[in-house]
Amino acid sequence: MLRIENLRRTFGDVTAVDDVSFTVEPGRMTGFVGANGAGKTTTMRMIMGVLAIHSGQVEWNGRPITAADRTRFGYMPEERGLYPKQQVLDQLVYLGQLRGMSQGDARREGVRLLGRFELEGRQKDKLESLSLGNQQRVQIVAALLHRPTALILDEPFSGLDPVAVDSMADLLRERISEGTPVLFSSHQLDLMERLCDNLVVLSHGRLVAAGDVAELRHQQQQRHRVVTEPDAGWLRELGGVTVLDVEGPKAVVEIVDAATRRTVVEEALKRGGLDEFTPLVPSLSEIYREVTQ
Amino acid sequence: MSAPATTEQNRTAPASSASHVTNAWSIVTLREVIVKIRDRGFIISTLVTLLLIAGGMGASAFIENQSQSFTVAVVSPQAGQIVQGTGSDQSGEGGLTVDTMETETAEAARSAVDAEQADVALLNSEDGWTLVGKDSVDDGLSTAVGQSLSDYVLQMNAQAAGTTAEDLTAGSELDEEVLQGSMDDEALHGIVSFVFSFLFYMSAIIFGMAIAQSVLEEKQNRVVEILATAIPIRQLLYGKVIGNTILAMAQLALYGGAALVMVNLLGDTTMVGSIIAASGWFFVYFLIGFLILAAGFAVVGSLASRQEDLQSSTTPVMAVIFAALFAGIFAEGTWLTVASYVPVVSSVAMPVRLLEGNVALWEPLLSIVVALLAAVVLIRLGEKIYQRAVLQSGGALSLRKAMRIEE
Repeated sequence: MLRIENLRRTFGDVTAVDDVSFTVEPGRMTGFVGANGAGKTTTMRMIMGVLAIHSGQVEWNGRPITAADRTRFGYMPEERGLYPKQQVLDQLVYLGQLRGMSQGDARREGVRLLGRFELEGRQKDKLESLSLGNQQRVQIVAALLHRPTALILDEPFSGLDPVAVDSMADLLRERISEGTPVLFSSHQLDLMERLCDNLVVLSHGRLVAAGDVAELRHQQQQRHRVVTEPDAGWLRELGGVTVLDVEGPKAVVEIVDAATRRTVVEEALKRGGLDEFTPLVPSLSEIYREVTQ
Repeated sequence: MSAPATTEQNRTAPASSASHVTNAWSIVTLREVIVKIRDRGFIISTLVTLLLIAGGMGASAFIENQSQSFTVAVVSPQAGQIVQGTGSDQSGEGGLTVDTMETETAEAARSAVDAEQADVALLNSEDGWTLVGKDSVDDGLSTAVGQSLSDYVLQMNAQAAGTTAEDLTAGSELDEEVLQGSMDDEALHGIVSFVFSFLFYMSAIIFGMAIAQSVLEEKQNRVVEILATAIPIRQLLYGKVIGNTILAMAQLALYGGAALVMVNLLGDTTMVGSIIAASGWFFVYFLIGFLILAAGFAVVGSLASRQEDLQSSTTPVMAVIFAALFAGIFAEGTWLTVASYVPVVSSVAMPVRLLEGNVALWEPLLSIVVALLAAVVLIRLGEKIYQRAVLQSGGALSLRKAMRIEE
């Protein structure tokens, strides 16, 4: 379990990350969202020790994280890069060795993972001779090679075609099912919707939402669609109800509590009938927009 | 998180304790070496240099050993005798082969020279001897003939005075003796000093730039951010410096070995001993001097943000290398003594002093200690700047800016 506690980082007068706390749990895919400049990359770099932490701390398995712990993490930085002039497999082996693998192990695992991304024929090619998409795949292999204990991935899906996105997602799910905590950032909310169990949302350096995606959805579930004949206008007069939209018999409302919900149903039945009363499950992008407003 | 999670934890737990690679620098070193020796440009330039060393030494030996032959036109039998005498004290090596060509008259001898049948004519008149050439007279030939002539005349005059040439010149021999080394060594010192200076200059630039470029490559391509999460960044610097130092020393040994083999093959074995002794010192000094420069080049590489920046940011380090080169070739006396204590410059200056002899053992030892101290201080300082600068993206940094960066 990776626990981020009250992290803070400033650059001159600018506070890039301000008192951010969340956890990345084993076996759960944690999505990290926020607009550009929200502080995602800064947070990830502090977790990986590339950037000094100004206050707060990062805990790994219940104690402050050490350099040795980070060595076993898998990291994909925002700015991509490997050695352009070195052969693909050679540099994977090198990076694996630096993270404590034996040469043979690193080679075997490198070959296997390159195969997962249909790059088995390119092992001996120089990295720069690969297309950008394929270089990106090699970058992913570099992050996963040493069977990391946790994965910190900054925009791992950007620049990938749909097939590679699927391979990547499969790989990540495998690691998740083995109990590896994964934190990854992305701007692609539809992808987040598909993959994430947990969500962490940053806005202007501050944490605005964090937790189980289903719970976050539930928090927003006071939103309902009501269809009541002949006209839904009376809903405006009801206390505890915010009408977001009304059109003849149809309305979208926010209802603050369960008691009010009952009142709405009873009132509707009294007034001529209730044709529909549906909780609206918000999409991730709705949640995102909501919390970052 | 049931069965698979537990096995995962079981599997990774021992691995993570064993995984913190303590000798990460050696993995970096190995990569530096392998990448370099697979680099075609590097292989070719090394082979070309080897060929130049072997070829250059072979060619100069060939030219030196090539004997020149001359034909001398003579009229009188005395002249014939003198000409014969020119060959007598030459060992053949680098010597002269002189043939005589007898002619009837002085006129005939002159016209033989004019027609290039003979190189020179040796003629005598009332007041002495004349060596006649067409448009010039070869210096070597002139000296040899002059020597032979004075021997001949001395002998003739001695006979006329009823004594012998040996009696007349008895006790006139002036032997030369030098307290340190031998006379031949003087010339050799010049050559070897130049070779030391130049080798240091060349290797420092080739392998120093390799370090700067390797640092910049990782910075520019952002690999360094991945590396920084895997190993302490200091280890990365050590690995690069050690890797390139090994390469530089190996190349130096290769060139040195080739030169010694050539010297042996050419039969000039007397030189080998003194070169090896001086080279031993040079090797040690080279190592320390190079380590200092390597730290400098690593800093320069970490400050740059593009290849083009290297040109200007390497200037201060290059200046130090030039200073070493010039000190080795030109410095003498007090200047050389002072230079032999200045770190980096001492890498060339002290071995040059040692070649010339007259240096107490404590001097090179003290100079090594000074250089080592400088190396430790500068590598530490280099480390600090490198650690700060290498993770910065954006434009090129100045040294002052880099020092102000917080990690």
